[in-house]
Amino acid sequence: MFRRTAEKPAAQLCEKLKVEFTFHFQLFTVEDYIDLQGGKRLKTVGLLIVLVCGGLLIYGTSDFPGWGDPSSPASNYLSPRYIEKTMEETSVPNIVTAVLADYRGYDTMFETAVVFSAAIACFFLLRVFKSDEADETRYYRHIPSGVTLRIEKGGRLPKGSAEFERIDTSWVPHDLIIKATTRLIIPFIQIFALYVIAHGHHSPGGGFQGGVILGAAVILFAVTRDLRTTIQRMGEKICALFCAAGVFLYAGTGFLCLLLGKNYLDYSALAGILGVDPVTARSHGILVVEIGVGLSVMAAIIWIYYNLSSAGKHDEGL
Amino acid sequence: MSQNFPALIIVVPLLSAFIISAAGWLNKKLCFPIAVMALGMSLYSAVGLMGMVLESGVIEYHLGGWTPPWGIAYNVDHLNGLVLIVIFLVALLNLIANKRTVEEEFPEKTGAFYTLYILFVTGLSGMVITGDAFNLYVLLEITSLTGYALIGIGKDRGALSSLNYLLMGTIGASLYLLGIGYLYLATGSLNMADLASILPKLYESKMVLFAYAFCLTGLFVKMAFFPLHAWLPNAYSYAPSMSSSLIAPLTTKVMIYVMIRITLSVFTPQFSFDTLNISGPIVWMAVIAIVTGSLLALSQKSLKKILAYVVVAEVGYMVGGFWLGNRAGMTGAILHIVNDAMMTLCIFLAAGTILYKTKGDSFDYLKGLFKKMPFSMAAFVIGAMSIIGVPPTCGFFSKWYLISGGIAAGHYGFVAALLFSSLVNVVLFFRIIEICYYEPFTDHHHHEKEETSFDEAPAGMVIPLLMAAVLLIVLGIYSGDIVTHIIEFAIPGEIT
Repeated sequence: MFRRTAEKPAAQLCEKLKVEFTFHFQLFTVEDYIDLQGGKRLKTVGLLIVLVCGGLLIYGTSDFPGWGDPSSPASNYLSPRYIEKTMEETSVPNIVTAVLADYRGYDTMFETAVVFSAAIACFFLLRVFKSDEADETRYYRHIPSGVTLRIEKGGRLPKGSAEFERIDTSWVPHDLIIKATTRLIIPFIQIFALYVIAHGHHSPGGGFQGGVILGAAVILFAVTRDLRTTIQRMGEKICALFCAAGVFLYAGTGFLCLLLGKNYLDYSALAGILGVDPVTARSHGILVVEIGVGLSVMAAIIWIYYNLSSAGKHDEGL
Repeated sequence: MSQNFPALIIVVPLLSAFIISAAGWLNKKLCFPIAVMALGMSLYSAVGLMGMVLESGVIEYHLGGWTPPWGIAYNVDHLNGLVLIVIFLVALLNLIANKRTVEEEFPEKTGAFYTLYILFVTGLSGMVITGDAFNLYVLLEITSLTGYALIGIGKDRGALSSLNYLLMGTIGASLYLLGIGYLYLATGSLNMADLASILPKLYESKMVLFAYAFCLTGLFVKMAFFPLHAWLPNAYSYAPSMSSSLIAPLTTKVMIYVMIRITLSVFTPQFSFDTLNISGPIVWMAVIAIVTGSLLALSQKSLKKILAYVVVAEVGYMVGGFWLGNRAGMTGAILHIVNDAMMTLCIFLAAGTILYKTKGDSFDYLKGLFKKMPFSMAAFVIGAMSIIGVPPTCGFFSKWYLISGGIAAGHYGFVAALLFSSLVNVVLFFRIIEICYYEPFTDHHHHEKEETSFDEAPAGMVIPLLMAAVLLIVLGIYSGDIVTHIIEFAIPGEIT
């Protein structure tokens, strides 16, 4: 039994972060990899190859069009139509959004699927389902006295006692300031994220950015409390279902267009359902898929965080 | 509905992947039927598409209703119609064969496995059907990412070999992307047909040369073309059987398809074969790939490693055959994409079935297998015959075209390499077959067993395996039709 106090919480948090990060990076650096594959001679050979290839690449740039050249093929061929016609064809003021989610919306759908695949892959590779819960050393805080208890393997606390709270092995002080601050900040982060998603038509933003901000809000909560509390609020199953539902919303919208008789992802088919003209329907269609992207990205980020931070145990983490 | 086949073929499995992922959390039993239905639907669409292409020529589909080059278009012609059928056939057979192993191996992650599986197949087929060079990259990303996960779950050194693959694969994909970036810089377009019409004016440009070099190198890494093959043997042999029998038949073959597509449809044959004049060195590299791949296969001590090196040698067949630059060689390469996918499936499925029963794949475990698992071994023998190139299995016919292409081009090094590799394969597979047939089964503690009893894998595994084996013979019988009705039209007329 011992007591841990909350001295210099910020410094300790930094220290903890550093420890965690160096640990993760040292797991497998490139140098280890090269050593593993066969010694330091490779480094010299590698350097030579890099130099030769770099030289070739620089030689290859001699034909490049000038920097920002208005007569270069890239700015002359497809861009004029995007710039001149986007508003009248899709009624979206933000050209980037229109190219991303409409002209080349099919690519973006698969980019969202890439995010989804990453989340699923993390879960598939890392998640460990543990049956026995009492096979590890655990720490508890006795709430009234603030004493920290260490329970060895197989040990148990008195059942049904509300006086103890589980804390992480590495470091969990009383952190009133941090908790109160995040409690204040998180709702605003989330509202801002919704704004970013919804306002992708008019200003920089969209589903990917908004989704990441939404996810970051939950991760901030997890960093300032602990992983278990976060998972109680937003479970793994919810993450998994949201993650799939978001991309499904995107791909399903496209499929709906197909069912309504137009080509896949041709949002103008939605005009009948939405009760607007075909051009405005494109703009609304983009909003729908952006919401899908936001949902999916948020859930993916959180789900990946759960699995990475706790090495798949969903027990203790950063 | 049939006019939407090009979209359905990709979208149905994509949507199903998300449904499977949800079903994995709600009702695990639904995952497998949904996966089978999705792949079955896609196979149906692929066959339908092929029929339409045979009837009326190239089919174009505009996604989002935007005409290329502003939007993304799908182009289905004879070449990718054929490859699409192969992809879904292989994926479906393997899925059905491995139902039991998946449920036993990943009881809690069945949903995730099937999701990754279907996404992997979606990615591959999307790469094949697309007419947009950047869309191809996006789907390559999906394929790679899911592929890494499917391999990384393997036991022992699965994770390490997957990391190895990830590093190499990412470099390869980045090189391809860089190449596409250069092309965009030079032309401002991403649509393949559009690029092909703009590029002839720019053949002297260094940008185009570098773009081609980047694309080709990236694809060589991805297809494990010697000497860029180092990631493949470990990745394929440490992957769990159900993943390796999906990934080994399809990944390298689809990457070879992409190479053919980029070379023929984006950069015209005139540029690739005449202006650049790189076909000679590439064919010689293929010769080295075939010879070293075969020799390395000969030096391996476990079944899956041997098969993995055979895949490396086979990549050399197809790359070399294609770069011979004549009609027979290209016919051989394209036919070999089909045949090699089927025979790699057959042989990896057989290996998976054997592993499922013996729990180990070094030679000691293989003794007495003919008595123990006669059906699986029969399929294994047919697969081996096809890889060696014994008629009437399909392997013979594509090898025939490849060899006649080599003779027509006067490239006797390539012909010699093919014959050498066939001989090595004979030694390789007959050594295995000999162990399985003649040496009596002994268990771990070297107690001689009295009688090796019949102990075949479950019917659910053996029947798809036998179907794959029978398909090898059927493909062999019909390979003349495939060549005259499909592959003839897949190769541009200017190649003689």
